[in-house]
Amino acid sequence: MMTLKLQIVIGFAIVVVFGILVNMIRKRSLELKYALSWMAVLCALLLFDCWPGLLIVVSEFLGIYAPVNMIFFLGFCFSLVIIFSLTVALSRMSNSIRTLDQTAALNEKRLQELEAELKKAEERQEG
Amino acid sequence: MKKLVIIPAYNEGGSILRAVEDIKTHAPGFDYIVINDCSTDDTLEVCRKHGLNYVNLSVNLGIGGAVQTGYLYGCQYGYDLAVQFDGDGQHDGSYLERMAEELLRTGSDMVIGSRFIEKEGFQSSGLRRVGIRYFSALIRLLTGKRVTDPTSGMRMVNRDVMELYARSYPKDYPEPESVTAILRMGKKVTEIPVVMKKREEGTSSIGGVKSVYYMIKVTLAVLMERLRG
Repeated sequence: MMTLKLQIVIGFAIVVVFGILVNMIRKRSLELKYALSWMAVLCALLLFDCWPGLLIVVSEFLGIYAPVNMIFFLGFCFSLVIIFSLTVALSRMSNSIRTLDQTAALNEKRLQELEAELKKAEERQEG
Repeated sequence: MKKLVIIPAYNEGGSILRAVEDIKTHAPGFDYIVINDCSTDDTLEVCRKHGLNYVNLSVNLGIGGAVQTGYLYGCQYGYDLAVQFDGDGQHDGSYLERMAEELLRTGSDMVIGSRFIEKEGFQSSGLRRVGIRYFSALIRLLTGKRVTDPTSGMRMVNRDVMELYARSYPKDYPEPESVTAILRMGKKVTEIPVVMKKREEGTSSIGGVKSVYYMIKVTLAVLMERLRG
């Protein structure tokens, strides 16, 4: 089982990572929306760190022999969920970029035409 | 009747002028729009210098996104039909009037210029022909309709299909997928024989490992079209 020393080291690491996360949200370099899932992981980790007995209870409930295996398994599942949600976000993003790009291009075209018409009208007035 | 030629251009500074000249001389009843898909060569400068009618994308969208921009343009400016025309010298402008005639005469929603009806001109390489025949069979299986050249980039559509494509159009390798989509909607697609040349500039976007990706991606896309109902 975990030693008290390891518990403290892990607990400290979690707090540091949490601090980094909060700081990045504060500086707006990370969207709160996407940070929420990471915060949930940190909370879960902290929970297991403070009460290691919980780990055994959960792994017994799921029928997993070693609590460590459960950590790996859950960690793996969670990573997959995050990666998948990123792929979904990416698809949405690329669609938005496409629409934006096309709209901007057509607007630019319209603007060029209007400028040309304006120039023609001005020349007519002068002449 | 307002008719539009959509010329998607990615790094075709060397051949784009010839394509536009081709349309002006052989299809005078058509307007054209060049879609510069964020080229890294001098395509944009060529368009500017020669006063071509162009739209400039600031992010590279790939052939699908570029052609869709053309359909959006066509819808916005009130065109009745639009035809896709490659700027790399493969397509021949003298077919455009004939395609428009065919579209109106048969009341079709799409007319495809097919290389494989009379089997003349550049017939694509052997392996590619096998791929094209495979897509043709797949589309026949899923829609019951016969399309001899589902990968042809020379396609003319009416206003109805323009609006459909302006709303949704595949990103890469769009031809087989988009023709399946409208066939599933019960649109009428006809083909006329055309002769295509070997490209003068640039290389095909498909080859090597990419062709494996192409086959799998397009197959799945066509099957997905079936699932969309």
